[in-house]
Amino acid sequence: MEDQAPSSSHLIEVNIDVPSTVATVSGSKFCGGAICDFSDSKTNIKDATERSSSMQKLLIAVLLCIIFMAVEVIGGIKANSLAILTDAAHLLSDVAAFAISLFSLWASGWEATPRQSYGFFRIEILGALVSIQLIWLLAGILVYEAILRIIKDSGEVNGWLMFTVSAFGLVVNIIMAMMLGHEHGHAHHGGHDDHDHSDHDDSHDHDHDENHHNHHHEHTEEHFHCHGVSVTSHNLLSSEDSKEPLLNHSEAKSVSKETKKHEKRNINVHSAYLHVLGDSIQSVGVMVGGAIIWYKPEWKIIDLICTLIFSVIVLATTIKMLRNILEVLMESTPREIDATRLEKGLCDLDGVVAIHELHIWAITVGKVLLACHVTITPEANAEYLLDNVIGYIKREYNISHVTIQIERQQ
Amino acid sequence: MADFAVSSEPNGGTGSSFTAAPATQDSFKHRLPDGETQRPWSGRYGIDSGDRRFSFSRNQSFKPQLLRNDSCIGTGNSVRNRSVLYQMASVLLAVRSGNRQVRRLALLISLNVAYSTVELMIGLLTGRVGLVSDSFHLTFGCGLLTFSLFAMTAAQKKPDGIYTYGYKRLEVLAAFTNALFLLFMSFSLAVEALHAFIQDESEHKHYLIVSAVTNLLVNLLGVWFFRNYARVNIAYRKAEDMNCHSICLHVLADSIRSAGLVLASWLLSLGVENAEVLCLGLVSAAVFVVILPLFRATGGVLLQQVPANVPTSAFNKCLRQVTALEEVSEVTRSRFWELVPGRAVGSLSILVKGGENGHSVLHYVHELYHDLGIQDLTVQTDHV
Repeated sequence: MEDQAPSSSHLIEVNIDVPSTVATVSGSKFCGGAICDFSDSKTNIKDATERSSSMQKLLIAVLLCIIFMAVEVIGGIKANSLAILTDAAHLLSDVAAFAISLFSLWASGWEATPRQSYGFFRIEILGALVSIQLIWLLAGILVYEAILRIIKDSGEVNGWLMFTVSAFGLVVNIIMAMMLGHEHGHAHHGGHDDHDHSDHDDSHDHDHDENHHNHHHEHTEEHFHCHGVSVTSHNLLSSEDSKEPLLNHSEAKSVSKETKKHEKRNINVHSAYLHVLGDSIQSVGVMVGGAIIWYKPEWKIIDLICTLIFSVIVLATTIKMLRNILEVLMESTPREIDATRLEKGLCDLDGVVAIHELHIWAITVGKVLLACHVTITPEANAEYLLDNVIGYIKREYNISHVTIQIERQQ
Repeated sequence: MADFAVSSEPNGGTGSSFTAAPATQDSFKHRLPDGETQRPWSGRYGIDSGDRRFSFSRNQSFKPQLLRNDSCIGTGNSVRNRSVLYQMASVLLAVRSGNRQVRRLALLISLNVAYSTVELMIGLLTGRVGLVSDSFHLTFGCGLLTFSLFAMTAAQKKPDGIYTYGYKRLEVLAAFTNALFLLFMSFSLAVEALHAFIQDESEHKHYLIVSAVTNLLVNLLGVWFFRNYARVNIAYRKAEDMNCHSICLHVLADSIRSAGLVLASWLLSLGVENAEVLCLGLVSAAVFVVILPLFRATGGVLLQQVPANVPTSAFNKCLRQVTALEEVSEVTRSRFWELVPGRAVGSLSILVKGGENGHSVLHYVHELYHDLGIQDLTVQTDHV
């Protein structure tokens, strides 16, 4: 530690996010306590802002839903029409789906307990799964009711009523879909500054592995000393070759991260959005059926065919999300990580002989963990190599929760 | 200090598992000081140890070290999107060559499908709404049982590059889906009871008795097939325990429902008022109570909870024992989860004070947690 050449000028930039909590053992790269929070302060804040903005959106959607449902119930009782009441029940199912999503969002922010060592992030995924099962259940119920309508063809199907009621439902659903899906403008500005600094922090922390073991310790020491304070130490006079790519690397990364964040919706908001989308598709189907029956009341079978077709369309929209959920629940390697390249890259590092038991899995969409056993040559420096490996993984693949067991080949 | 010889790879320097053959190199685990590999049936961890503390490590699913896949990532065996037809064909093949449970389940499913198709035809032809709705309910149930069957057959597959932990989780997922469906059913039965209560006119369909009795018989046959799992609270030892338990509870709940319908018809014919409401409410409550433990257990596994059969005090004790080592200064980030009942995974981060005693510490920690039943452990040693 003493013979490393210190760099001459440091620019220290301090962003204070939250009041500092427990200071850890100095020099330690990790938070204290045997069971500590899954994420550090940076991601906690990003998570919390994203969560609260999603919860706000869902709350507004729930309130709108309840208002519309009350309107429909009153109108249905006054007009004594079963069709309107059925549509109100449909809106009730929307409220149920939103309630599930809200609960999952809220619960995923709970602190980790000794029985849940990873925190409650999985609740998001399970909530989304339950929500999608609800969509399937509702599609099944609709098909069942369409079949019933054919059997009980006592001619009391009023095409005009079906049409108007479902048109109203469609308008409501479209309003809510726009509100839930419209993510890009609003919630991003608040988190923007936070975002950029954290990018710089990441790239600076881990680009120094070739010469500055000391530096690495120094950086992380300053970084983790107080949990809420993120200190970025910009090393202006580092070696020439690391200066140029440093700037480009961080710029490129911040740009790409922004675009990625645009596309990635919170999974619970996305499942609520799918629910609403499914409902509007069904409303379109019922509208088409109602219009046809209004026009030609003897073509009742068209109603059933329409319902079937549109139910299949709704189920098709949920398939992609269901596949993502299944992959997370099965602890599979996330799609965005090329595991073969990672393994090869790790093996190419100096001093690494072999990689065993490499497991990459996600606790929720976006939070990836890695665990593996690395066998190193007898003369390699274990500490240095550990930093190397962790730095490589964090830098190239942005996986921050990494556990590496170093074994020495003898 | 023992010599933990790890034989070198035939591929030399950067060999990992790019070739399909599993590496002959032993990963660092479970080596006794005299160098012999731990055998699961040796006295110390033996089944006949009689010590109740070891009941969770008594499971039979311990695989000898050499057969464990080291890193499956590069085996080139991983295809993400197999076509549906291929998967269905593989399921059929697996059913023909499967074990007893698989074949029984397949028989049950085909019985149910046949029955519900017949019911649907009769209902459509005679215009009886009750039959149609009953057949829909049965079809939903059959779909779920088919998913369980698929999970049972697919769980045998070896781990590959995408699913590095294998496919056993599918069984837990199938059990969770079954439990969820049964919860939905209980909820909908409660809604039906409420509906019957509000609508004072009793529009109970008596023709449903025949179908209810047949349904009851078929489901009782299913319960008989899976009679080993016909309990509410089961200690889950292997992955398929959860799946089979969920299947048994599924057919049990269906038979309770049919029995409830028969009972309601009989009580109504006796002239008991509100018999329907009573019976539906009873059935709904019974199904809820029966399914809740399974739901919580499967939910716990899927939520990455700490293994349920290991008490928290055992973990704390292990933590204290590790910290009591003289080389260890601190243990951070100890996390454990259960892949399927019987296979627990963990990761640990230890701060070690200088020196090259990494091996003994690693060995000690691995042994300690292996006693608890946690076979896959990754220990990161950081030097202060």
